Amino acid sequence: MKSGTRLENGIITAFTLIVGLVWIFPLYWSFLTSVRSEENVVTEPGIVPDEFNLSSYVDALFNTKLLTWYFNSIGTAVIVTVVVLVISMMCAYAISQMQFPGRKLLYLVVLASFMVPAQALVVTQFILMNDLGLINTWAGIILPQLIVPVVIIVYKQFFDAVPKEMREAAVLDGGGEYTILFKVYLPLNWGITTALAIVTFIGVWNSFFWPFLVITSEDMMTIPVGITQVTDAFGIAYARLMAVAMLAALPVVLAYLVFQRRVTEAVMISSGVKG
Amino acid sequence: MGVRLKNVRKSFGTTQVVHDVSMDIPTGGFAVFVGPSGCGKSTLLRMIAGLEETSGGQIEIEDRDVTTVEPAKRGVAMVFQSYALYPHLSVFENMAFSLRLARAPKAEVTRTVGEAARILQLEEHLDKKPSQLSGGQRQRVAIGRAIVRQPKVFLFDEPLSNLDAELRVQMRLELTRLHRKIGATMIYVTHDQVEAMTLADKIFVLRDGIVQQAGSPLELYDDPDNRFVAGFIGSPAMNFFPVKVTADDGTYLTLTTLGAGNHGIRSVLKGARPEIGTELVAGIRPEHFELVDGGLPVRIEVAEELGDVSYLYSRMEDNTEVIVERHGSRDLLDGKMVGLSAQPEHVLIFDRSGQRLR
Ligand SMILES: Nc1ncnc2c1ncn2[C@@H]1O[C@H](COP(=O)(O)OP(=O)(O)O)[C@@H](O)[C@H]1O
Ligand SMILES: [Mg+2]
Repeated sequence: MKSGTRLENGIITAFTLIVGLVWIFPLYWSFLTSVRSEENVVTEPGIVPDEFNLSSYVDALFNTKLLTWYFNSIGTAVIVTVVVLVISMMCAYAISQMQFPGRKLLYLVVLASFMVPAQALVVTQFILMNDLGLINTWAGIILPQLIVPVVIIVYKQFFDAVPKEMREAAVLDGGGEYTILFKVYLPLNWGITTALAIVTFIGVWNSFFWPFLVITSEDMMTIPVGITQVTDAFGIAYARLMAVAMLAALPVVLAYLVFQRRVTEAVMISSGVKG
Repeated sequence: MGVRLKNVRKSFGTTQVVHDVSMDIPTGGFAVFVGPSGCGKSTLLRMIAGLEETSGGQIEIEDRDVTTVEPAKRGVAMVFQSYALYPHLSVFENMAFSLRLARAPKAEVTRTVGEAARILQLEEHLDKKPSQLSGGQRQRVAIGRAIVRQPKVFLFDEPLSNLDAELRVQMRLELTRLHRKIGATMIYVTHDQVEAMTLADKIFVLRDGIVQQAGSPLELYDDPDNRFVAGFIGSPAMNFFPVKVTADDGTYLTLTTLGAGNHGIRSVLKGARPEIGTELVAGIRPEHFELVDGGLPVRIEVAEELGDVSYLYSRMEDNTEVIVERHGSRDLLDGKMVGLSAQPEHVLIFDRSGQRLR
């Protein structure tokens, strides 16, 4: 990149800084709120830190079902991520590498389902889950989230790009389709699988609307749904609400810090900029 | 018989790319399929490997019908032009891959891979990844991966095309040595007739999915069945020019060049006699020309002097190009007019459809 004049650089830096501040402000305010006492939040709103009171966190941890919600969130997110990746990679492999009638049609169906907004299906899905007796169960949360066309599409593009001779070499070496997929193709680039896993996991972790509909029992809630339960007799308990929100974001933040580069890559791959 | 094809055919959709190919390759033989790009060499090889289904006919390996047997169970191993090494595995694991899939005992894996690595001088590279190797070394790993499987038949699809000229010559020699050492049947595909001549016991010249001629390198060189084979084998290529039969004494035909000065040349013919006046095509290899007074007149445009040999790029009166090869000559001939002649047994004749008259 060409480096501009000092003035240009200054303007750019200032602009970036302002945008950064705008982005960070809600987080900052949430954190500030979460460490103030409930009365202060309501009576003396402000953006200057004035106390460091962890009582909301203690309360969130011990007087709400936060730990249960954590467990539900982690459990459903891990299961969805694993299942989505496994079925998507196998589906993409079949579409990309195997010859069978209806292969093109199948891919068109996948592409088409990519175009249908998830919200459009919510009512039908809810009725289906209800008929299956899966309201207020993990299965009810998990099943409708298992179809992620973009993961199939990304995997298919990846497999399409593998040279044909690689597959043939493996066939001659005695490899069946599973061997070729798991021992040759996936190891060619674990980065793609890691990236897709992260994106899927974060997506499921943050999903609110569907779990909110399908779960009514506090014991089965995931964290984002659980947050709606943090009220007291006087209405919304802001400090506790924010404490729960902080704790809810924690795993994603940690994951981000650990896999920073991978996440950036992942977002680019799945938004089609790259890959 | 190492490999036997009986009336093998292949079509992609409605296009037939291999027509009724039959051939016998003895156990331990080194066969080369040679022909221009797109003639169906790779397709034929891939059918033997089982990577392409056979549209008709039968393929036998060591007297077993394998036409519908899956690739891994045919006892063949293949070396690809792109090498197709597994980039995420070390050299050792690349070679061991098939053994691991077959759940071979650890000691056997170590021994077999070690042996292949020794033959191919890869021992010090076993822990490296393919990306850390040179082209020649990658090629060796690809061959090693084939050796480890102890196949009955090795299949090579233009394995040297990605190497530079010098390395190609070296690997060619190594392949010959390897063949002598292992003694397995090998089938090798190339578009390069020099590779075919140097490697093969038996060459199959293919054109448009049809075997034009099969035989030892020298049989094809000395006694081609048709104009295509005559022109394809040998470098520089055989010279062709149109002629007309003007006399026939029962042994020798007298031919007159058409369009180029009505010059007479003679050829030997044992078989059926063409009628006087028939138009044919004469073929003479560059090294079979002699420079004589009163011979077929040509003008030398460029003379390439390589020391031991010189190539005279010349034109007849009607502009037909003629290449002459001379040995040990020191005459400076650039731009001169010279006369050419050839011994009658070195003047091959072909009918208008390209079939050889013998
Ligand atoms: N999978 C395929 N589908 C359709 N046509 C093919 C396929 N593979 C090869 N061909 C055609 O068959 C002919 C022979 O190809 P190939 O065997 O690769 O030639 P070569 O190796 O002699 O250059 C070519 O005309 C090629 O276009
Ligand atoms: Mg080819």
